[in-house]
Amino acid sequence: MNILNFLEKKDISPTPIVPTQTLTSNTLVFLIAIMTFLSALTFGGLILVQKSASAWSSDISREVTIQIMPIEGELMDANLRLAETIAQATSGVSNAQALSIEESEALLKPWLGEELDLTDLNIPRLVVVKLSDPLNADLLSLKNELKIIKGARLDTHDAWRDQLNTMAKTIIISGMLIFLLIVVATLLAVFFATRSTMSSSRQTVDVLHFIGASNRFVAKEFGSRFLRIGLKGSLIGGISAIIFYMLLGFITSSYLPSSSTEQITALFGTFSLSLWDIFAILSLVPIIALLTAYTSRLTVRRFLKQIAW
Amino acid sequence: MIEFNNVSLRYGDGPTILRDISFSIKKGSFHFLTGSSGAGKTSLLRLLLLSLKPSEGKMSMLGQEISKLDRDRLLQLRRHIGIVFQEFKLLDHLSTFENVALPLRVLGQQPKEYEENVKELLNWVGLGERMHALPNVLSGGEKQRAAIARAVISRPDILLADEPTGNVDPELSERLLHLFAELNRMGTTIIIATHELSMIKKFNYPQIALKDGGIIIR
Repeated sequence: MNILNFLEKKDISPTPIVPTQTLTSNTLVFLIAIMTFLSALTFGGLILVQKSASAWSSDISREVTIQIMPIEGELMDANLRLAETIAQATSGVSNAQALSIEESEALLKPWLGEELDLTDLNIPRLVVVKLSDPLNADLLSLKNELKIIKGARLDTHDAWRDQLNTMAKTIIISGMLIFLLIVVATLLAVFFATRSTMSSSRQTVDVLHFIGASNRFVAKEFGSRFLRIGLKGSLIGGISAIIFYMLLGFITSSYLPSSSTEQITALFGTFSLSLWDIFAILSLVPIIALLTAYTSRLTVRRFLKQIAW
Repeated sequence: MIEFNNVSLRYGDGPTILRDISFSIKKGSFHFLTGSSGAGKTSLLRLLLLSLKPSEGKMSMLGQEISKLDRDRLLQLRRHIGIVFQEFKLLDHLSTFENVALPLRVLGQQPKEYEENVKELLNWVGLGERMHALPNVLSGGEKQRAAIARAVISRPDILLADEPTGNVDPELSERLLHLFAELNRMGTTIIIATHELSMIKKFNYPQIALKDGGIIIR
């Protein structure tokens, strides 16, 4: 093939006035993809923490626990049955069930390992009390009634729930701060890339001015170029983040030992994304693309105002 | 069409480049702008292109006084002026066709609207076969003809050219000058900055000669 023929363009559909395939634009696509990926990871993490905290809080508020400490001379089985009876008679309680030794073992397995044997250990026993109406359950009366059982104590999980809420809020606020910093860093990168592009495209700008193009026209041409770059980069980053979460969910459910999976699930919930979560992460794509276009357009306008003509 | 009354120009606090220049150019005329290097030919062309404003004096073009025009009106006026640069200033990533069509895109025309006109003009300047070529595969003469085509595609009232024959051989220079003469016959007012005396003598159009910051019309 003749090299001249190869260099000749064959179609006459309009080529963007601002060159698209430059080192700066390719680097910027890569940078925006990374930043979007990090934003989406942070955003996805926030969704995960928020969902887990809500689920924990909801579960905890629908349940209280009666703990009965082993005391010499006291019959544990009799005390457990009495606690069940007292709890079931309390208003707002739907069910009260003492945990068997096997259930207690199962409960502690994720934390203490598979080889646990509680038969030789004198551990406290639990009665799980399910509340039908958490807001109106008469827990004060239940607490007073339990005084007749030696070593019995009502745990409403309030302290645990408060701590959990505080922790979740701290993580969410920190995550939002990180998210904002990533967005600001992205916009700064776009700002500098735009200035660099404007400087290297000075001849294009001059030619456009000489043939009568307004600053608005020039800004629009550069803005649409950066919109394309922003869309391309953010789409790559957003889809990569979704694939990452899917892989993470697959790995935690398929490759980690079941005890580890249970611990991770107990702490963080599952890594599976609902359609809404995917939609929320993908919503970052147009937002970042539009922010990129807007930032570059402002930068271009500032640049054009600075150059005399 | 063009009126300069005691126009002076200096860049910032620097020395005066053009001093008390007064001349007028009628519609449909053809002038050579001459002068030695540094005489201010390019500065005068930039004034005519409205990319500079006079430091002193009055300047009017196409019946409008420049000092009274805001940025948008200057822009509107500039669309009536075509410019051919010595170094062509073609955009390297656009084909010859797209470079020539650029002023029409700026005016908001769609490819379907301008396609035939651009092709016709490219044929007229002898670039019909090269319309898809990128500037980096064009010869100097082809680039210059593409630059001329771009300058006239929007049918400007005034065509300015800065040393348009500076980078081409004498034979092509003459052909280009004939091209300008043809455009002039079609009604375009033409001002060509050049220092090629042989061309000036051969074509014998009036001269605006710059000397020591002043001007002589001959």
